[in-house]
Amino acid sequence: MRTLPFFLICLAVGAVVFGAAVGLGNDYIFFAGYVVLQYVVLSTAWNILGGYCGYVNFGTAAFFALGAYSTVAIYKFISEHDLYRMPMPFLLLIGGAVSAVVGFGMGYLTLRLRGAFFAIATLALAVVLQTLVVNWDYVGGSRGAYVIRPEAFPLIGSYIRYLFLIMLLLAVAALTIARLIERSRLGYGFATIRDDELAAEASGVPTLRLKLIATTISGALMGMAGAPYPYYIGYLQPSSTFGLDYAVNSIAMPLIGGTTSWVGPLIGAILLGSLQQVATVTISSAANLLIVGLLLVDFVIIAPNGIVGLLRDRRTTSAALAEPPLFTLIYIINLLPMYFLMYQGGTAEWIALFFWAFLFFAALARGWAIDRRWLFLFPFFGALAAQAAIAYSSFSLTVISVCIHAVGVLCGLITNRRLADAPN
Amino acid sequence: MIFSFDLLINAIISGLLIGGFYAAVTCGISISFGILDIVNIAHPAFVILGSYIAYIINANFGFDPILTSIVVLPAFYALGAGIYQIYYVAFERRGQESLRGLAFFFGLLFITEVSLVLYFGVDYRYVQAPYIGPTLHVGFIDMPLRMLVPCLVSLLLIACLQLVLTRTFIGRAIMAVAQDQLALRLLAIDPTRIKRIAFGISIATASLAGAFLIIIQPVEPSVGRDYIGRIFAICVLGGMGSLPGAVIAAMLIGVVESLTSTFYGPSWAPAVSFGFLLLTLAVRPAGLLGR
Repeated sequence: MRTLPFFLICLAVGAVVFGAAVGLGNDYIFFAGYVVLQYVVLSTAWNILGGYCGYVNFGTAAFFALGAYSTVAIYKFISEHDLYRMPMPFLLLIGGAVSAVVGFGMGYLTLRLRGAFFAIATLALAVVLQTLVVNWDYVGGSRGAYVIRPEAFPLIGSYIRYLFLIMLLLAVAALTIARLIERSRLGYGFATIRDDELAAEASGVPTLRLKLIATTISGALMGMAGAPYPYYIGYLQPSSTFGLDYAVNSIAMPLIGGTTSWVGPLIGAILLGSLQQVATVTISSAANLLIVGLLLVDFVIIAPNGIVGLLRDRRTTSAALAEPPLFTLIYIINLLPMYFLMYQGGTAEWIALFFWAFLFFAALARGWAIDRRWLFLFPFFGALAAQAAIAYSSFSLTVISVCIHAVGVLCGLITNRRLADAPN
Repeated sequence: MIFSFDLLINAIISGLLIGGFYAAVTCGISISFGILDIVNIAHPAFVILGSYIAYIINANFGFDPILTSIVVLPAFYALGAGIYQIYYVAFERRGQESLRGLAFFFGLLFITEVSLVLYFGVDYRYVQAPYIGPTLHVGFIDMPLRMLVPCLVSLLLIACLQLVLTRTFIGRAIMAVAQDQLALRLLAIDPTRIKRIAFGISIATASLAGAFLIIIQPVEPSVGRDYIGRIFAICVLGGMGSLPGAVIAAMLIGVVESLTSTFYGPSWAPAVSFGFLLLTLAVRPAGLLGR
C-alpha cells in the first residue's frame, strides 16, 4: 500500500473514532482518549529511535516536557504582552521544533555512545533539563505553571474535544511517518544500525547521519505530543511532567506491541493506555504502575517480539515458559495482583484474572514439558482459595491458597532424573 | 570570610560522607553493569527492599539495621543468583539482552516498588539506632554519626569486595568474565556460573546499601528512583567495573553536589552531577580509572 492511501485510511479511521466519541456524548471519553492518543504518538516516536535503530531512549519525558514548556513559555509571553492567542497547530510546530533541535543536539553529543551508555546519557539529559526548568522562574519553576483552558472552540464544541482532535491528527501523522520510514531506504538503513552498526558502517551506510535523522524525528514527535499538554492538564509541574512514567510507558508500549513495525506501538499504546486509564480511575495510580511493570516483564519473556510476533513465536514461547527459572518467575510475579488487587473489587478482579491467565498458561506449558499435565490444577485451585479467602475475609484461607501455589511451584520445579530437562 | 571557609570545609566533608554512601550503592552496579554488562536498572529497587527489611526487623525487634542487613546478605545473594538465572535463560542465551533485558529490569523496578507501596503505603519509614542522633565535632567540622557510620562501613565493604575480586580465584574469574569468556571455558570454568555468583554478590551489596540509606534518611518506596541516574553516572564516571574508580567518582559527585547545594541551592545539584556525566561521556567515555 502506498503512503497516501494509508494516510487517507488512517484519517478515515480517525474520523470514525472521533465520530464515535462524539456519539457517546460524554466529555470524559475525550479526557481519557486524549491520554491514550498521546501515548500512541509517544510510543511511535520512541519506536523510531528505539525499535528501528535499537537505541534505547530513557529521556522521553524530557522531550515531552520540552514541548509542554515551550507552550507554557509562549502562553506567558502572550498573556504578559496582551497579544493575540496563538492557534494550537502553531504551538505544536514550535514545541516540535524545540524538541527536534534538542534531539539533534543529543544525537550529536552521544554519537560515540552505544547501547546502555546512550540510554544513560538520555537519562542524564532528562535530569539536566528538569533542573533547568525547575530553576527557570519564568515558566513557574518548581511551583508549576497554570494555563487556563479556553471554554470552547468554534464548530467543535468544548475545548477538550478540540485537543482530542489535534492529538488524533498528530497520531495519524506519526503513524504515517513511522510507516513511511519503515518502507523507505531510511528504514533499511535504521535496521542495519540495529542489527550491526559496525558492519553497516563498513558497508557504506552513513550511520552518523541516519542516527541524527532518527533522534531528530523522534524528538520532534515527542515535543509535538507535549505541546498541547498544558492546555489539557491546566497546571503543569516539573516533577510530574518529567516523571519516569512517560519513560517507562513509551518503552513498555512498543515492546508489548512489537518493535519492528508501526503496528506494534499502536497496539501496545491502545492496550496498555486504556488498561491504565481504567486502572487509574477504578483502583489507584500505584496499581497502574504495577500493571505496566508486570506486563513489561511478562511480555519480554513470553513474547519477545510483542503481540505482533506472538503468532510466529508461539513455539518458542511455550519452550521458554517450560524453563524452570522462567516458569517460577512468571508464576510468582503474576500472583502479586491476586493478593494486592483482588481486595479492591470491581475492575481490579478482572485485571487480576488477566494476570492469572499468564501464570495458568505458564503452569500448562511447564506441565506439558515435564509430563505432569495436572500442574495447571494448582493455579486453578489456588485462585479459587484466594477468591474464597476474600469472600469470607478469612486469613487461614489466604494461607491455604498461598500454600497451594507454593506446592504448585515446587511440583513444577522438582523433576525426577529420568525426565530432567533435555537441553533444547 | 572565615565563616565561608568553615562552610566550604563542612560542605566538602559532608560531600565525602554522602559519597561513601553513593559508593555503597554503586559498587553493586559496578559489578553488574561494569563487569557483567547487565544493565540492572532495578538495583535501586533492591536497595529500597533492603531498607524495608532493615526497617521491619528494627521496628519489631529493635535490631541494628546494619547487622540485620549483614544477616540477610545470603537471602539477597540467592535473589540475585535467581534473577541472573532468569536473565540468562530469557535474554542472554537468546541474544536479546540489550533492549529486552533493559526492559525486564525496568519492569522489575516497578514491580518491586509498587509492591512495597501497596503493602507499606507511601509513608516515610525510619529506623532507631544509637548512632542516629549524635554528631562528632572536630574543631569546626561537624560529622553527624548517621552519615559517618554508613560511610565507614561502606568503605570497609568495598575494600573487602576489592580484595575478593583481586585475590581469590572466584574473584579473578569474575574479572576475567568481562574480558574473555572463551578463555574461561578453556580453563574448565563455567562462565554462567561465575556470572551468577557475581550477580548474586552485586545484589547482596544492595542489602547493605539499603540499611545505609534508611540510616541516612527516612525512606519511602519511590526514593530509589532518584538514585537510578546518579549511580549509573558514578559507575561510568569512575570507569566501568573499577571499584576504586567508583569510590573516587562517588566522592567526587558527593562533594560537587554538596558544594552546589551549599552555595547555589539544592535545586541545582542534580544538573551539576549529570552535567559531569555528560561531559565524561563526551570527553573520556572510559571514565576515570577505566580499562
